[in-house]
Amino acid sequence: MIEALFNQPNYLAANKALDAVVLREGAIANNIANLETPGYKRIDLAPSFETELERATASRDPQQIAALQPALAVDTTAVSSSRDGNTVHLENELMQMNQNAMTHALETQLISGMLSRMQMAITGKD
Amino acid sequence: MIQILSGIQNTSAALDAEQTRLDVIAQNIANVNTTHGVDGKPYQRQVVVFETSLQQAMNGDGSAQMPAIQGTHVEKDSSPPIHIYEPGNPDADANGLVAMPNINMQDEMADLISASRTFEANLAVVKNARSMAMETLAIGKH
Amino acid sequence: MSPIPAINPAMSGLMPNVDMLQPGASPLPSTGIEMPSELGRAQEITAAQPTGDSFASMLGQMVSDVNGKQNISAQAVSALQSGQTVPLHHAVIAMEEANVSFQLMVEVRNRLLESYQEIMRMQI
Repeated sequence: MIEALFNQPNYLAANKALDAVVLREGAIANNIANLETPGYKRIDLAPSFETELERATASRDPQQIAALQPALAVDTTAVSSSRDGNTVHLENELMQMNQNAMTHALETQLISGMLSRMQMAITGKD
Repeated sequence: MIQILSGIQNTSAALDAEQTRLDVIAQNIANVNTTHGVDGKPYQRQVVVFETSLQQAMNGDGSAQMPAIQGTHVEKDSSPPIHIYEPGNPDADANGLVAMPNINMQDEMADLISASRTFEANLAVVKNARSMAMETLAIGKH
Repeated sequence: MSPIPAINPAMSGLMPNVDMLQPGASPLPSTGIEMPSELGRAQEITAAQPTGDSFASMLGQMVSDVNGKQNISAQAVSALQSGQTVPLHHAVIAMEEANVSFQLMVEVRNRLLESYQEIMRMQI
């Protein structure tokens, strides 16, 4: 019964999205820390994860969602604007960081809300 | 110690590095007219060299290579001093030429702006990591 | 700050009358009255079913699930405190899930107790 309580597709998907957001925060932080490192190539979330998450969520299959693993990879679409081959653009990184922060706020609110609703359903009070 | 803020391992090294750079630039600017230092020679412009290493960080989440800034060291710029014709200067040599530090104010100011920008960006990263951690800790509270 | 102690599944006092629930037995205490035929048939069916579906095993499963959740939460918290790089949200969410699971178990226990007491109050 306990497992079924937490095995809802939406809850699992929100958890996986939060995993991805936290991973991405580390990647963006690393990109900005290496803003001036010669030859550094920016890293980001592997682009396949988003499509996989979409597909798994649409399938409403808890096991498929739980099996997802977000991962980081070198961003192959980034081009270098400086002579030393560094592909980090500060404005882009800051914008990604802000978007990521908003997604983080959304996912934590979703998860928090789901847990609160579970509690309310169980105990009948807030 | 507890690792609450994850993902910003390299940020503090970057902040250190930029701080060093800012200090060195400030010193260069302050000494732009120093023709006679402690060793009797004109001030030699200093540059900051970053030491980086490519660490292979294979975590369970499949992170790719995470290059890390290991540290910085300050080196003296090896370019020769520029000579200015100023016969009245006490440091002028036999030909009336004074050796001035090879410091270009425009270059130093551009470096200063770039270093400040990088420093601020890394600070923003730390602030962001902190606010995300606070949000995380608020999960489940109502 | 000590980690959340794991629940001992054999904790007494939380589950009154668990030992009374044998696989296949009716959860209601015997009243001595002749049961209507439909209810009797239902009792037969429950007696014939394998133990996996009985109420007692479901309760036992719940207790061990809650125990599992508490263990995960305790592990995450102690890993965090010992300085390992555990993602903070894993630890926080594990703690909340353990909380919710525990609340569910307590509510189930309360309802069981209430219904038992209500039955005991029935005038025969």
